[in-house]
Amino acid sequence: MKKVIATTLALAMVLGTAPTALAEGAEKTTLNVIISQYGDHTQEWWLGENGFEGSFEAANPDIDLNIEIVSWNDLYTKVNTLISTNQAPDILNIDTFADYVADDLLMPAEEYASEELKAKILPSFWNANEMDGTVWALPILASVRALFCNQDILDAAGVAAPTTWDEVLSACEAIKAYDENIVPWSLDISTDEGQAAFSYYTWNNGGGFVDADGNWALNSAENVAAVEFMKKLIDSGYCTADPYTETRYPQQDAFAAGSLAMMLGPCNLYDIAADVNFAVSPMPTNGGNPSVQMGVCDRLMAFRNDDAPDQEARTAAITKFFDAFYDADTYAGYMVFEGFLPVTSDSAAILTESADQYTKGDGSAQGNSEYFATFCDMLNSCNFYPTAKAEWNDVKQGVINAEQQICQGSDAQETLDALQDEILALAE
Amino acid sequence: MRKHAALKKVEPYVWLLPSLLLMAVMIAVPIVTVFQLSMSEISRAGVIKGYNDFKNFKQIFASSTFWHTLRNTLVWTVSVVGFSTLIGFVIAMVLNQEFVGRKIVRAIVVFPWATSLIIQSVIWKYIINADYGSLNVILQKLGIIKSYVNWAPDAAAYFAWECWIGIFVTFPFVTFCVLSGLQSIDNAFYEAADIDGAGFWQKLGLITLPLLKPSLTVSTVLNIIYVFNSFPIIWTITKGDPADRTHTLATYLYKLSFYNGKSGQAAAVSVIGFAVLCVCASIYMILSLRAEKEDER
Repeated sequence: MKKVIATTLALAMVLGTAPTALAEGAEKTTLNVIISQYGDHTQEWWLGENGFEGSFEAANPDIDLNIEIVSWNDLYTKVNTLISTNQAPDILNIDTFADYVADDLLMPAEEYASEELKAKILPSFWNANEMDGTVWALPILASVRALFCNQDILDAAGVAAPTTWDEVLSACEAIKAYDENIVPWSLDISTDEGQAAFSYYTWNNGGGFVDADGNWALNSAENVAAVEFMKKLIDSGYCTADPYTETRYPQQDAFAAGSLAMMLGPCNLYDIAADVNFAVSPMPTNGGNPSVQMGVCDRLMAFRNDDAPDQEARTAAITKFFDAFYDADTYAGYMVFEGFLPVTSDSAAILTESADQYTKGDGSAQGNSEYFATFCDMLNSCNFYPTAKAEWNDVKQGVINAEQQICQGSDAQETLDALQDEILALAE
Repeated sequence: MRKHAALKKVEPYVWLLPSLLLMAVMIAVPIVTVFQLSMSEISRAGVIKGYNDFKNFKQIFASSTFWHTLRNTLVWTVSVVGFSTLIGFVIAMVLNQEFVGRKIVRAIVVFPWATSLIIQSVIWKYIINADYGSLNVILQKLGIIKSYVNWAPDAAAYFAWECWIGIFVTFPFVTFCVLSGLQSIDNAFYEAADIDGAGFWQKLGLITLPLLKPSLTVSTVLNIIYVFNSFPIIWTITKGDPADRTHTLATYLYKLSFYNGKSGQAAAVSVIGFAVLCVCASIYMILSLRAEKEDER
């Protein structure tokens, strides 16, 4: 008898809740969003009633946001697993998009980016997401790499911030002579980010990943000379002894501790090295080439979902999500919160004028307009990785491997020729 | 009555069923999946595009990095298992003697094995670092070196350090396997040998080693499997760099999959590793079991 009563009650509960659930499901559009973790406090900005999630859902009761913050260590594995099990997110924040375009997984940005949003994204960033004539993603934030010099050490060694490669060598020599325990220069050609070093030196020697027509040109004479210069820096004992495995993070710590004199580093070194008297200058160049800074840009992209019950409502919800996120005030607040540079004109204007109205993620300080003015200006002269090319991931790992081989003694021209052939074969 | 007997026959299998199911789900399914993936075309984004005529295996066999990695894996496994067995055996012999503080020394010996491999690797990375490593600092303070030495200037040196760290974290396991074996040897054998005038080496070769064979077989087979598949030491210290010269199969397939986006090739390397390990472990087991049978005769 008890069993009968329990079953009846359970059945009644299920039947009683079912219509409500169905009604709610029919009305609401759910968006699954994956955001990458930029700092220790990323969750606080995005999640909860006081975060972006809460305010967005309050303003849009017909949309249910399901945001997940994923660390960069797990991001690629997680996204690949979701895709291979047909559970791709609706919106994803990651660095590259070409692989998803190749598998026809993404929606063109024109389908969901409102005219207003399109107009305020800086043109170079909008165009950087173009592949085969279609823009596939939106830039979420940017960062700039430039030369950071410990002014106290340079003054003591009697040298100025170097502007050419020759000056780099002479400054390193002077610093070594001044104090043998100070590492003059930093170099990271590790698996983590060796492609960044390739960019710094090849771009500032008139070379780079691609030629003027956008074709792969990895074995140009300028690139060969650039990698040979890296080897010279290692062989002269001017950089950390272990550039093959030491990433830039311990090098940033060393710069902040005053034991590394000069570093080609990211703009957030500005905060990390706050205790050091440093100056920021353009990257040194060679052969009279103009100085090129490196820009890094991460992206937001929307995936197709052919199984969505109401495509129109889904696309409208995605548009609302982006409009809300790139709202001048909201977005400017997020840039200060995470310490990155804005990619929209209205937020850039706010931040270069009055960043102090926003607080950093760790609550330690207000935003610094001088920081945004310095680096937003540099963004205009930046080069970016050619991430819109389908072979980019192979090129990235290939140049790291080539740098390591050359710095270990392999012939630079032969190694880069072999890489170029390998990449061209892939492109075919 | 007959019904009861039939039930009795089936009963053990019913009790075994949960474990068998668990093994099927946790072991058999992943193995079959990896075999399937190794023969499939998988895009960088993770989309599986079907059978690709062993292309992954062909690409792997055509890669010089794979052959270098295979050689490294062999050197890594043989050196780490070999030296840790030797060192572990010697230390077990010492710890089997009566001396003051033996319990404390036994506890200390277990530390390298009990500590997380990642932590051990990070500590060793700091010890050998050329710019701020403690090895350089200590040697300089002792006046043995004048300026800092780069202890890992190339791939071979890095790999040698990694092998040493592998040995350091593995030998305690052998020590304790051998120690438990030593304690089960009846002292009467040694007393009889003493009466017959046997020396240390004779007792070692004719009593200790033959009676330790089961313990050594277990520790060696388990070590071959653990060390062959070991990932944290090499990944933490070099990630297979410089120029992919310090990989073993475990780190190589991880890099192929999660850095290079070649999941199909990574699955192929995994299958090759599985095959190599099956062959090595089987040969060792067959040889040692055969030797045991001969001893019994």
